[in-house]
Amino acid sequence: MEFHTLDGNEAVSSVAYRLSETIAIYPITPASVMGEHADDWAAMGKPNLWGQVPSVVEMQSEAGAAGAMHGALQAGSLVTTFTASQGLLLMLPNLYKIAGELSPFCMHIAARSIATHALSIFCDHSDVMSARGTGFALLASGSVQEAQDMAAIGHAVTLESRVPVMHFFDGFRTSHEISKIAALSDEDLQALVSHEGVEAHRSRRMTPDRPVVRGTSQNPDAFFQAREAINPFYQAFPETLEGVMDRFAGITGRQYRLFDYVGHPEADRVVILMGSGAECAHETVEWLMEQGEKVGVLKVRLFRPFATDRFLSALPETVKHLAVLDRTKEPGAQGEPLLLEVSGALMEAYSRGDRQVLPRVIGGRYGLSSREFTPAMICAIFDQLKAEAPKTRFTVGVRDDITHLSLDVDSELDIESPKTRRALFFGLGADGTVSSNKASIKILGEGTDLFAQGHFVYDSKKSGATTVSHLRFGPLPIRSSYLINRAQFVAIHAPQFLERFDVLEHAAEGATVLLNVPWPKEEVWDRLPLEIQRVLVERKAHLFVIDAAEVAEKAGLERRINTVMQVCFFALADILPRDEAIARIKESIRKTWGRRGPEVVRRNVEAVDSALGNLHEVPVPDKVTANRTRPPRVPEDAPDFVQKVTRLILEGQGDKLPVSAFPPDGTWPTGTSQYEKRTIALEIPIWESDLCVQCNFCAMICPHTAITSKVFEPETVKGAPEAFEVVPETHTSELEGLDYRIQVAPDDCTGCGLCVEVCPAKDRTQPKRKAINMQPIEEHREVEADNLAFFRQLPDVPRDRIPRDFKSLPLLIPLFEYSGACAGCGETPYIRLLTQLVGDRLLIANATGCSSIYGGNLPTTPYTVNADGRGPTWNNSLFEDAAELGMGMRLGLDKLVGRARQLLDQLQSQLPEGLYADLTGTCTTVDESAMASRRTAIEQLHRWLADQQGPEARELDSLADELCPKSVWVIGGDGWAYDIGYGGLDHVLASGQNVKLLVLDTEVYSNTGGQQSKATPMGAIAKFASAGKATRKKDLGLLAMSYGHVYVAQIAMQSHSNHTTKALQEAESFDGPALIIAHSPCIAHGYDLVHSPAQQKRAVDSWAWPLYRFDPRRIHEGLPPLQLDSLRQKVTMKAYMQEEARFRMLELRDPQRYEQLVAAASEAANEQRELYKQLAGIHFEPHESSGADNEKGEGHD
Amino acid sequence: MTELATRWLGLELRSPLVVGASPLTDDLDALKACVDAGAGAVVMHSLFEEQLVAEQMAAHKFIDSHINMDAEARSFFPESELFEMGSDSYLQRLELLRHSLGVPVVASLNGISTGGWTRHARELEGAGAHAIELNLYDLASDPKETAEALEQRQLAVVRSVAEQVSIPVSVKLSPFYSALPAFVAGIEAAGAHGLVLFNRFYQPDMDLDELELSREVVLSSSAELPLRLHAAAMLYGQTSLEMAVSGGVHSGDDAAKAILSGASAVQVVSALLSEGAGALSRITREMTGRLSRMGYSSVSEARGVLSMANAPNARTWERLNYARLLHGWK
Repeated sequence: MEFHTLDGNEAVSSVAYRLSETIAIYPITPASVMGEHADDWAAMGKPNLWGQVPSVVEMQSEAGAAGAMHGALQAGSLVTTFTASQGLLLMLPNLYKIAGELSPFCMHIAARSIATHALSIFCDHSDVMSARGTGFALLASGSVQEAQDMAAIGHAVTLESRVPVMHFFDGFRTSHEISKIAALSDEDLQALVSHEGVEAHRSRRMTPDRPVVRGTSQNPDAFFQAREAINPFYQAFPETLEGVMDRFAGITGRQYRLFDYVGHPEADRVVILMGSGAECAHETVEWLMEQGEKVGVLKVRLFRPFATDRFLSALPETVKHLAVLDRTKEPGAQGEPLLLEVSGALMEAYSRGDRQVLPRVIGGRYGLSSREFTPAMICAIFDQLKAEAPKTRFTVGVRDDITHLSLDVDSELDIESPKTRRALFFGLGADGTVSSNKASIKILGEGTDLFAQGHFVYDSKKSGATTVSHLRFGPLPIRSSYLINRAQFVAIHAPQFLERFDVLEHAAEGATVLLNVPWPKEEVWDRLPLEIQRVLVERKAHLFVIDAAEVAEKAGLERRINTVMQVCFFALADILPRDEAIARIKESIRKTWGRRGPEVVRRNVEAVDSALGNLHEVPVPDKVTANRTRPPRVPEDAPDFVQKVTRLILEGQGDKLPVSAFPPDGTWPTGTSQYEKRTIALEIPIWESDLCVQCNFCAMICPHTAITSKVFEPETVKGAPEAFEVVPETHTSELEGLDYRIQVAPDDCTGCGLCVEVCPAKDRTQPKRKAINMQPIEEHREVEADNLAFFRQLPDVPRDRIPRDFKSLPLLIPLFEYSGACAGCGETPYIRLLTQLVGDRLLIANATGCSSIYGGNLPTTPYTVNADGRGPTWNNSLFEDAAELGMGMRLGLDKLVGRARQLLDQLQSQLPEGLYADLTGTCTTVDESAMASRRTAIEQLHRWLADQQGPEARELDSLADELCPKSVWVIGGDGWAYDIGYGGLDHVLASGQNVKLLVLDTEVYSNTGGQQSKATPMGAIAKFASAGKATRKKDLGLLAMSYGHVYVAQIAMQSHSNHTTKALQEAESFDGPALIIAHSPCIAHGYDLVHSPAQQKRAVDSWAWPLYRFDPRRIHEGLPPLQLDSLRQKVTMKAYMQEEARFRMLELRDPQRYEQLVAAASEAANEQRELYKQLAGIHFEPHESSGADNEKGEGHD
Repeated sequence: MTELATRWLGLELRSPLVVGASPLTDDLDALKACVDAGAGAVVMHSLFEEQLVAEQMAAHKFIDSHINMDAEARSFFPESELFEMGSDSYLQRLELLRHSLGVPVVASLNGISTGGWTRHARELEGAGAHAIELNLYDLASDPKETAEALEQRQLAVVRSVAEQVSIPVSVKLSPFYSALPAFVAGIEAAGAHGLVLFNRFYQPDMDLDELELSREVVLSSSAELPLRLHAAAMLYGQTSLEMAVSGGVHSGDDAAKAILSGASAVQVVSALLSEGAGALSRITREMTGRLSRMGYSSVSEARGVLSMANAPNARTWERLNYARLLHGWK
């Protein structure tokens, strides 16, 4: 038997791939990886069990994938897919069809929460439970080993039973857990799968040689009976599955049953559950039995069809108290699904007399959205079962102080075997900690007899992210499907964690603690905050330090410290002999990075060799000497909610917050990112006022609003901090007399350097010195933090004073700041600019994706408010429906406006002189003075209404604010706009409604890791396009133009902000739908984003990304609606493409194909240019056209 | 008619005119046209040590450091096993040229250290390169490194590359050596077979508006040729290394002068970049006409006849020439 160390996704997709011919996929966390593996293997030409390379196709949505699956099944193919959560919901209609047609089919679900009051990418069973009516068999697995095995069993049983199978396992916990498992060989699979089943499936295929019809429409006289005709298949299924499981046991020695009971044969208390929680219950039950308790756990493998007889025979007759645990919530239900099935089965058995004792059954919810589920919680459930009057419905894992359903849990309980070694690692996302831990597990798993497990926890930030790795290894199989509570080894890979989290919370007595800090070893102890010192002393820990950044730097690895820290881990953890460990690390480096090139290997090996010489033990004194405590995570002046809720989430203690701390409907305050001081930059931009030319390019391009410029009345600067430099505004005549300053937000900057890159002002005597320069943060942090606080409270000048040109617009207050987006993100500046233009009158409908994560992922919110408390209001519905959501907002809003107008009309005669006219005259969102007057008039109306009686006055008072116009913008990425949401986007554009759509086009699915979309350009390598995309990028703008009534613009802000500001303002002023397609540089393009302005300029100049504006209003002026703002091709397509790794990788892989695709892309650009030129010269009769002028284009900046 | 066929680096060339290292490597059609126009061999553009290293490290930084840092995105590119950074595409190019052109293809390496990159020489040989041109393009900028140390370092590179392969190695030099003949002797001792005289430095220009340096490739002119002719004439006979002149050859007379000063091969680049392959047929025609008119039956007969060893007024190549010229100019 061969052992492999891999994660659940890889284990499952390895089986599914080998047993399939057609794989239709669509990316969704946490299942995307299964599809990616399948795509990679197909690209490498790996065959399935029948010697064919499966077709792996990415569709436009899960609904599309389901349709393709259905079709492939009907054509007689062996089909699979991988999905989760909303993806599964989108597949549901087809799943009913597939099951209704009794098509053998096995799909794999990395179970994930369904979005309700909020989205969650984490695990529960709400998705699969939503599919329980489809007619699919639901097969659960609880560990990586089981997931692999059950995948094979699922594919085998569906061929024999014709009942399609939905195999599910827990997202992240199982899908992303790395574990050492006994791998299934091709021979194992050959022996398992029924080739008669394959034949039978193929024989039912649709073919004109033996034509049939399926998918008929049936009437009341037929449908019902026909539906009942499937019953025998479901009745036979449990036995068939048992047969497959027995055959599987014969091949592998691993015996599964429909219900697996573990525990005392005469148990009086039993818990029933499915998924990874059952592993934890298994471990806990064994421990409790050692303590003499008569307890057990019944693991449900087959949830549907629910095999009542197998269930009853698996459950000991002695059981008196039963707790049924569901990892889902069905509000208002009598109980959650598993509870209902179990209760029904028992009740029936008892009433039939088949069972003598009817156990008392209680039902509980656990683990929603990957909430921890631990032995302590299982013990709490067993305790509850002992209670005289247990809670019949309960929750475990939260503290419910509203409905008091939750059980109390002893969080200190630790039942893990001392033979299992446990290690925790705190890393930065970019330092490679997780990668090297994965490598370490493989080293241990594949190089020793030890069992090994790795689980990784990420926060939701895309820059400066924190990762926590939980590693277990030991001689016994590891069932601990929960985070480490007591670690013998804790590594802290970045010094800032010491100041942020309780990193030693889970350090065991006598633990080894490894710190990566840039301090001399003699100073380390004195630099530690009190909390850290206390744990080190109290738990008698051993402290080791290394300046890994320096070691890595010397080896030419910049700050990538992972191999250095990996060596230290092996040296200190003492699992393998040192020399052997180091040899294995080097081997793993060669294996992982060999194809990256010898230099990468050489430098990493050099880092390995110099690591141990820099590792030092620091003696831990016997008492605490520090008097400095960890600084508070949020400032003391933060609002109450931020203090009470946000702070705990930031400190990693959010799970301790009770139910009452949360709004019940998902409503959350905006403007909280300002309290999350992340301090992730090593260098920050510092302003040199003497050189500044007040162009505001820095503020315009900053992805994190971490550098802003402002004008203000000189007298408001009184009382400023000493270092608060200001200069007179001298570059814009409208702003004469005001002072000017550029301010960095030191704790919010990511250090990307874009601001310095675009700064045009240079010192004529020292050209290296610009008007802003990156400088070490420690030299400026405190001063600039004080300056920022003062800067933020400076009153804004009236909005109508700021000219609406691209140089002045950044002076408007941004209402989107300090997001968690990647350093150098190309999307966020568009959103910030939009909030500067219309943020105080803005409703946003946001498609799921990067922009919904950095825009709305807890703990903090970057959308914020101005001094009046106004700012964008934001909602994320789904990935696919953002345009519709926005249109609904517009429709709803307009009805309220209409109602307010109606009431106003009713009260018109009574209103003070002139007020009616002030409230009903022309006012648009782009007319700042009209907006200001309207707001004044509304205030006057409120004052007047306060003295009025009657229901109309009260109602108008509540709606009067709607008399001020609002903007509705839909924001999303190209995955939404080009693929999954295209139908809705198209419909909203067609509707003519006043809704604006901003497409942040990164040309791949960025949030899920760079899968191709229809926006991916020809010649680019992307996931699901490993061979380089061979088709052209969809011309979304042209499609929208075809309506004739849609404002369309294609923009590129990092290089052409003048054009961008013009287009955004034209779109806003257009009374109808607008589509803005925004070029958004992204890490998925594979180059240093500090070069994005130059690279984007190449995109524009090569016509890879032409700039244009299509304004239907021009038709009425007798002008061609399309204006081309890029005319000539100034650089070659190749000059653009060769600068990005996504194209370069194709050149490396297949130079000839690269050349062909470069030529084809060039040709496509030529054709597009010719087409657009003609469109831009079009004449509409009967207007006299002056279209000849249009080719002048408008200013390129 | 002068017989153009000649030997260079042990290779039989049908003409001493060779397409020098240039971006033309990437343009198969243009190279084919040059061969049709009579080119005797083609030198590929350099595989740069720094470029290889930089690309590997950039990939490591910009691709690998975005791996395993996010719950949703495991990485941002397909499996790295599908792509190899390094010299792969260069090697594929080399094989393509070798199969498509029908004249010898000389691969070019550019490096200044003896690091692991010299293993690429072996790969180039494996991919069928007929010879290797080792470009020692180096800018002395470290005040602590003496001329002696720098030269020793460069000779070590030559040795390291020459040891890796059995095909001939030709070393391309910069014009700026204090004691060129002695250094050339070192190169010969290090195992090289040929010399290319000389590299052209792509010196950055200045953008006075933007107050920054600008990078523009300036094509050579015939004015750059005499420096090369001088060196070749001086070295001819002193060294057994076979010499190629590179830089400033724009006409048949330029090429003829290179041969008369001692060159076995004459590399052409700028003329091809500005005029296209037609330049090669023109230079060939002009050179053949000139040498024929001068009565040489073959290129080898003409080689070195005006070198320092052979020229009737050989001292003109030496110091005295300088004094006379200056006086004359006065």
